[in-house]
Amino acid sequence: MFEQLVGKLPVGIAVVDENFNIVYLNDFFLDRLPHDQRNTFKDTPIVEMFSEQGKFIKRRLKSVFVLQHPSFSYWEQRPHIFPFKSSRPITGEETQMFQNMEIIPVKDKNTGQKLACIFLQDVTAQASYFREQQRLSAALKKEHAAQRKLIRKLDSAQSQLIQAEKMASTGQLAAGIAHEINNPIGFVNANLETLSQYASHLIEICDSINEHVEGVSEEAQHFVKNLYEKNHYDLLKDDMQSLIDESTEGLTRVRDIVENLKLFSLDNNDETKDININDIANQLIKLVSTQYPEPTYKLDTPNEKIEYTGHAGMLKQALMNVVVNAAQAIENKGFIKITLADTESAITIKVLDSGIGIPEKNLSRIFEPFFTTKPEGKGQGLGLSVAYTAIEKHGGKITVNSKEGKGTVVTVTLPKNT
Amino acid sequence: MVDLSLDEDQRDALQELLNISMGQAANSLAQLIETKIDISIPKITSVTPTQLYSLLFETNNSFYTRQSFLGDVHGEVMSVLSRSGLNEVAALMEYDEPLSKEDIQEIILELCNILAGACLAGLSEQLELTTNLNMPTLFSPDKGNFDELQWQHSLVMEVQFIVAISSFSMRVVFCLDDASLSRIKATLDDLLA
Repeated sequence: MFEQLVGKLPVGIAVVDENFNIVYLNDFFLDRLPHDQRNTFKDTPIVEMFSEQGKFIKRRLKSVFVLQHPSFSYWEQRPHIFPFKSSRPITGEETQMFQNMEIIPVKDKNTGQKLACIFLQDVTAQASYFREQQRLSAALKKEHAAQRKLIRKLDSAQSQLIQAEKMASTGQLAAGIAHEINNPIGFVNANLETLSQYASHLIEICDSINEHVEGVSEEAQHFVKNLYEKNHYDLLKDDMQSLIDESTEGLTRVRDIVENLKLFSLDNNDETKDININDIANQLIKLVSTQYPEPTYKLDTPNEKIEYTGHAGMLKQALMNVVVNAAQAIENKGFIKITLADTESAITIKVLDSGIGIPEKNLSRIFEPFFTTKPEGKGQGLGLSVAYTAIEKHGGKITVNSKEGKGTVVTVTLPKNT
Repeated sequence: MVDLSLDEDQRDALQELLNISMGQAANSLAQLIETKIDISIPKITSVTPTQLYSLLFETNNSFYTRQSFLGDVHGEVMSVLSRSGLNEVAALMEYDEPLSKEDIQEIILELCNILAGACLAGLSEQLELTTNLNMPTLFSPDKGNFDELQWQHSLVMEVQFIVAISSFSMRVVFCLDDASLSRIKATLDDLLA
């Protein structure tokens, strides 16, 4: 009865002797053997019969015989020890059987002969389930990672949008203000000019009276002298012209600001045309270096000619602002390097300076209109805002990297719209 | 609660039995891979789950396995195997270079099966107990889970094996459940009587 039971067990049972020759195979093994081997397996070396994993089987059997201790093998590390199929030869789904193996030392009760018993378990179902789970888990992980990436992208897109929105609304506001201020500036300027002329006439009159006063009566002379003294004529005469000049200068500054505001809001009718970025860079260096001769300027360009179609004035202004900022960041000695790159899809202009750098807390605000750390009167905080809008208008990007005390890199990328 | 700590005589007796069985285990491995194996003097200590975690898993560059055993006594064997020197041991075990991930796993599992098996067999034989070792599995312990384990104290027996020709070393730690510990104590008392 036990023999029958063992024969029918749903696990593979093979018994081998110390020479690794097969002593017994149960039905699980027999059913899966080629037909001609089913009656001849006895006393065949097991490592010959299953030569594919012969080396492994031999090693494990040896260990069991030497140590008299069970040995295990799992499908995860060694899925197919015996070349058996996993069921269903007709309806498909035929795969190689995934196997767990256990070899235990046994002893023949009658002869005392040392034997090893191989238990073979078909774990194909578990294995495929497990592998499917793993595949799913990997897919999920991948999807999760992709989602996180997307969320990050969305985040940055959102902050870019907010920035753009901010710039746009400030731009509109700036355009409005510029328009409103332009009118009064116009007439105040004209009036100042007239006032200046009137003033010089008036002074001329007064001076002339003063010159000719000696010829008239003493009383009149006294009267005029008193009148001049009482009204501090000398001071008035000295001060009046410089007051007017200062006012005119102040007004010019106001006009500059308004001009910049208009640039910032792109309130101009600059037509697009073909421009050579290389030329612009050279011009820029020439222009800026006359005003700021201290830094060493260097241009690194791959080509004599880098062509781009865009608003020349706008771009020049934008790059000018960037380069001037770079020059102003250098206190004594230092360098400014402009690197151009021309790829199929875009042109990159990199402006690197060895200046004082931008503190991290300010980095997020540098494109904000009117944000400046320069002393009053030295900067309007519009340079980078103007650059930002100009580059944005070209569908490009402007980014800033900076390290305090080391320097700053401003990268402008202009996509080619071909 | 039953007092599960060992008295001095029991401890000495167990220490002696461990010395013998660990020696046998080292011999088994040495025989199989035909190289000299050194063993440390087995340590017997009582630990809390957190201490057990530190004892075993706060090592860098190691593989971990666990294997439970049943029979007259129940418990688990946990092993910590060094990553370094594993290639030399693999060569001794007749594995071909380069080792795949699966090869490495198989080697680790086989090594701890051999050592834990030999130790347990030796110990069981000396104490005249029947034990059966189940298949070993790879183990990646989580400290949080250890802190939540049900038991408070456990007796652990620890031994280190060092393969002389390479930098490979392996620690094997036996833990017994309370009922098995009582049984071992009773058996030790019988031996001492």
